[in-house]
Amino acid sequence: MKESALTYSQAKQELEEIVSAIESGELDVDALTEKVKRASELIAFCKERLTKTDEELQKILDEIN
Amino acid sequence: MPENSLSLSELNGQVSDAIRDHLPDTYWVRAETSDVRLNRNGHCYLEFIEKDARGQNIVARARGVIWNNVYEMLSSYFETETGQPFVSGLSILVRVSVDFHELYGFSLSVVDIDPSFTIGEIARNRQLVLRKLEEEGVLTLNKELTFPELTNRIAVISSPTAAGYEDFCDQLAKNPYGFVFYTRLFPAIMQGERSEPSVIAALEKIYAHKEHFDAVTIIRGGGSSSDLSCFDSYYLATNCAQFPLPVISGIGHERDITVIDIVAHTRAKTPTAVAELLISHASKTAVELMDLQQRLVEKSGLILQSLQDKLGELSRRMIHSSRFFVREELSVVQQLSIILNHQAKRLLQAENHSVAEKSQYIHMASPENILKRGYTLTLKNGKIIKSATELSEDDIIETLFTDGKAESIITKK
Repeated sequence: MKESALTYSQAKQELEEIVSAIESGELDVDALTEKVKRASELIAFCKERLTKTDEELQKILDEIN
Repeated sequence: MPENSLSLSELNGQVSDAIRDHLPDTYWVRAETSDVRLNRNGHCYLEFIEKDARGQNIVARARGVIWNNVYEMLSSYFETETGQPFVSGLSILVRVSVDFHELYGFSLSVVDIDPSFTIGEIARNRQLVLRKLEEEGVLTLNKELTFPELTNRIAVISSPTAAGYEDFCDQLAKNPYGFVFYTRLFPAIMQGERSEPSVIAALEKIYAHKEHFDAVTIIRGGGSSSDLSCFDSYYLATNCAQFPLPVISGIGHERDITVIDIVAHTRAKTPTAVAELLISHASKTAVELMDLQQRLVEKSGLILQSLQDKLGELSRRMIHSSRFFVREELSVVQQLSIILNHQAKRLLQAENHSVAEKSQYIHMASPENILKRGYTLTLKNGKIIKSATELSEDDIIETLFTDGKAESIITKK
């Protein structure tokens, strides 16, 4: 998933909003499907940020003078 | 040459005698240590200095020595009591004898030391620094920052060769959850007089790239006690307190809490403990994420289940109600057909009756029947004559009876 502009905190916040919306039970089935799909993407994004090494990022830090 | 002149050694000898006569005892003296060094034989040489009240100008200075047999005893006693080695820059209270040697000049020989004075001075200095930071409103600034949820880009201030730095990196790298951490070392001198400007310079460098980091840690190898005075420095403390990223201290000291430990966002005892803290923060973040995921899966599963249940219910109701409807319709149709049947019969019967009546009437009105009843038909040239005006004298007419016909001639009209 390419969402370089998205930060972890933003993703997490959006995820929390989706889960709250789903828990409120006010979504119709089409909206629900869409929200679950988006939430899954956000979870994958957050997990990746937590556990997958980004070589680019380490490179940026190494190149600081 | 005046007769009363003295050789230098004679003069120095008299100075020496005068000092011995006038300052024969040992004296407790308050001073600051400077330029402390040990020679090969284990004798400790140093300078005692006194600064003015503002701590800027030196107002008194004296050379000093601690002979090796005394130094061995006093230095370990001092270190045990204060938690820090006998080094330059300390406020001390020592008992000295005042000596003057013809060759080496004036010096103070230390015979005893009072570590509690130094402890008090360190504590007093810390209190002064803390109060100043508080008055300036910066004391708790760093503590008011929050760790970003994802804190994995760490700027490390450490001596590059310190074991503590290696421990820190190892600990992060081998965390059992597979969290990823990015570290970048900003080397600094972590001990002695040059450490204060060195650590501040490292902080300034990180500040210039602060958007690339989530947190800063200042770490130093643990274990033996060491000179902590730089971590009580006002300038370093005010830099740390106002730093825009959370600072974690891990300067490896069990006993003392330095000013840096107090102003830092979080204090850990050792570099390893700093790493543990970062890993546990990442775990917390991961647990929150997993919790959200579980809530999502559970709730959306429940909703889908209930939707399916509703669909099932609807389809059951539809089948049921359509069966009912069909049954209803069937019975209506059956009833209708019975009614229809009955009505049709009645209609037919009525028709039959009416046809019979009509046929009887038609039968009664037929010419044969009328002829039978004695009426006759008159024809001329095969056409029925309904009026006498149609006839003239000498016309031949035909008269039809029920059982035959007869011809006649009109004789008179």
